Amino acid sequence: MNFKKTKRLILGLGILSVTFSCKPKETSIEVSAGEVDATRFVSIGGITTSGFMDDALYAEGQENSLGAILSVQFKLIGGGDFNQPLMPTSSVGWSKIGLSRLLLGNKTDCLGVTSLSPLRIASQGDLTGFGSYVYSSSNKFNNFGIPFIKSTEFSTPGIGNSANGPGLFNAFFTRMASNPINGTIKADILAKNPTFFTLFTGMDEVLEYAKNGASTGNLTPVNGAVGIGFDGSITDLLIDLTGNGARGALSNIPDVTDFPYFTTIPFDGLNLDADNAFTLNEIYNPIGIYFQVGKNAFVIEDPTAGAFGVRQMVEGELILLSVPLDSLKCNKMGSVFPFRNEFVLTNPELVDIRNTINGFNTVLASAAANYNLAFVDSYSFFKQLKTGIVYNGISLSAKFVSGGAYSLDGITLNPRGNALLANEFIGVINQKYKATIPKVDATKYRGVIFP
Amino acid sequence: MQKLILTLFIILISQLVLSQGFQVNFQGQKQQGMGGAGTALPIDGASLFFNPGSTSFLKENSVNLAMTPTFARSLFVDANTNQSARTNSPMGTPFSAYAVYRKSAESKLFFGIAAYTPFGSTVQWEDEWMGRFALTRLELKSIFIQPTISVKLTEKVGLGVGFVYCTGNVNLQKDLPVMDASGNYGHAELAGKANGFGVNAGVFVQATDKIGFGLTYRSQVNMSVTNGQATFVVPTSLEANFPNGNFSSSLPLPQVVTFGFSYKPTDKLSLALDVNYVGWKAYDTLAFDYETNTSSLSDTKSVRSYENIFAFRGGANYDFTEKIAARIGMAYGISPVQNGYVTPETPDANRINYTAGLSYKLGKHFTLDASIFFTHLKRTDTNIETNLSGTFTTNVIAPGLAVIYRF
Repeated sequence: MNFKKTKRLILGLGILSVTFSCKPKETSIEVSAGEVDATRFVSIGGITTSGFMDDALYAEGQENSLGAILSVQFKLIGGGDFNQPLMPTSSVGWSKIGLSRLLLGNKTDCLGVTSLSPLRIASQGDLTGFGSYVYSSSNKFNNFGIPFIKSTEFSTPGIGNSANGPGLFNAFFTRMASNPINGTIKADILAKNPTFFTLFTGMDEVLEYAKNGASTGNLTPVNGAVGIGFDGSITDLLIDLTGNGARGALSNIPDVTDFPYFTTIPFDGLNLDADNAFTLNEIYNPIGIYFQVGKNAFVIEDPTAGAFGVRQMVEGELILLSVPLDSLKCNKMGSVFPFRNEFVLTNPELVDIRNTINGFNTVLASAAANYNLAFVDSYSFFKQLKTGIVYNGISLSAKFVSGGAYSLDGITLNPRGNALLANEFIGVINQKYKATIPKVDATKYRGVIFP
Repeated sequence: MQKLILTLFIILISQLVLSQGFQVNFQGQKQQGMGGAGTALPIDGASLFFNPGSTSFLKENSVNLAMTPTFARSLFVDANTNQSARTNSPMGTPFSAYAVYRKSAESKLFFGIAAYTPFGSTVQWEDEWMGRFALTRLELKSIFIQPTISVKLTEKVGLGVGFVYCTGNVNLQKDLPVMDASGNYGHAELAGKANGFGVNAGVFVQATDKIGFGLTYRSQVNMSVTNGQATFVVPTSLEANFPNGNFSSSLPLPQVVTFGFSYKPTDKLSLALDVNYVGWKAYDTLAFDYETNTSSLSDTKSVRSYENIFAFRGGANYDFTEKIAARIGMAYGISPVQNGYVTPETPDANRINYTAGLSYKLGKHFTLDASIFFTHLKRTDTNIETNLSGTFTTNVIAPGLAVIYRF
């Protein structure tokens, strides 16, 4: 018997197996548009829709905005390009008050402890990039996500006009408006003649109110005429948006008080040793406030609390991430020096805020029905995120930084969070309009970047 | 010839360890040709695995070396995104080696030693696939070494017992969803050696010239990893949260009870049927216990909830001439993996295996056996732990070859 023959046999078997080791064939699911005409898709809303993240408007965030992510999937059903009022590629970004974006870095606090913390990547924001006028009549925008825009401001003439003064104009619109002097956002949206739209508004105004500890400003009334009330303003927008037969998806708004910005510092995070507890008891016992060794509720200013306007927090009340942490850790803020109103949401304030959110959401649900739109339950999505979501083996939650879905401002989602939210939109759009638009692979979108 | 045996040995040893599909039923070329049945049909040294009780009914001493290069290709199509990913797993090389010996033709006692690879898997998914945070690579290797005694109690009954020593190792890798400034994700690698013990016992009854029965019990083997090494690559700022260090874990290789039946309608034709009952229920949880826990690194317990299953194997052997025999067979296996628990490690499904085989006797002492195996698996599931949702499709083809020296 010969070796050659055997070798030939082995070789033969080898060739046979390569021939047969057929890769499994791909049987892809059919992609169909259903009743969606995505030729000219516009994304309308506030910070979440704009791509604002890490507390700034910057290019990478915009490229991962809700609308931008959706537009990539819409291209599969014949959608067009998605033009955005982009910041320059390498821009450090621009926050509401002109700061650069945040990035995780090591920070040493007043106790000498170094830990990961969101830091500004530059000493100031990119005024040149932000200040440049990016509107082009030949290339109108698809992204009308305008950071900090109120639901009542879409039809306000001159909302991009800086001459109106602080609080009466929105600089994020100024740079992209066809007519910043006296044009409206709605007119610019309609000039694009959208065939499909998403609308996610109402959140920014509630958020701004909550972010200042309900210390200044007002919540938009649920009912009122266009420019004053939420329902009138939404109706005004939807009548015109659907006027030419465009279809769309309308989102309700999340309970903003679930965002990490409001939930990271616990109300009872005042940890005392015997000495500090003794000192505080010396100060506060006369007005009926008592401390113990270990966990205690922080002390806040509350004009309604007795003669001294000072009390301890109770469960459910929230401390904002805007609180100066070094003062908290080293200078007895929240104990000897009570937290000021702007750093705290008390239970009555939370009731107001949540009532408004619920009121808005009732309006939005019936508007979706009235205008025959896909209804996105973002409220539930953010509640789920708070409980915890597992996506393809990635655990995501509403925990600051480690939760992996929020950007470093603790308010807006990071690209991965936006991808998950975009999937919520796609899900209901498919359902409503009998489409089969594939969802996005959220593992391809980044979460938090660690040094 | 010696050269050939040597070559095969070298191939065996160099690739000893790569085998495919968690349970691997490639323990004998003749049996593989018959759908994997052979519990009631003592035809060669592979009876040490299939039924140690039947070994005593063999007619000659022999040494049997076999290898079954296994080519498995899996495809995953994500139900949400419609995107797909493939495996590029290396060729698996399940092998078996058997030696059976008795002093003389009159001896009722056979001694045997067997080495084989009944469990193992190497699955390598393509880079950056959507399930990367569940698994990127799993390498599971196990070699069973089984010294055996088989006694022919009467003309009709044989009894055999083998003691099993199992050695193996496991290497599990996945990406971690923490990204550094250059856009690289973290990576975890858990590697460890394991060993365990068990038995393989069987009884064989040659009821008539034409009819045989067999019953075997292969015990569960608990492969425990005591000094595994966990290695993490993470962004610098998180290194303290993911300390490299030891871990322990264990993996049960399930017990198998098999009932076999054989029938020889003519001198030239034999039929074999096996029914396996596999105790996969033992694989309830895959747990990793890290020596050092941190806020980011806690011990993990992944529920597997496998179920006990049946597999049915049947085949036929036909002796065309003194020298040439051909075989054909089929098997049906029920998946132990319940809905909700399908993982990229073992994208398992109910399956039908198709097999065929050929033998050729070379002179007085040598036999060459060849076999071919094909199966196709398809399973759609959403994993309850990772939420990975989609359809796994796998094709496996495995041609095998054995060289037998009879004396």
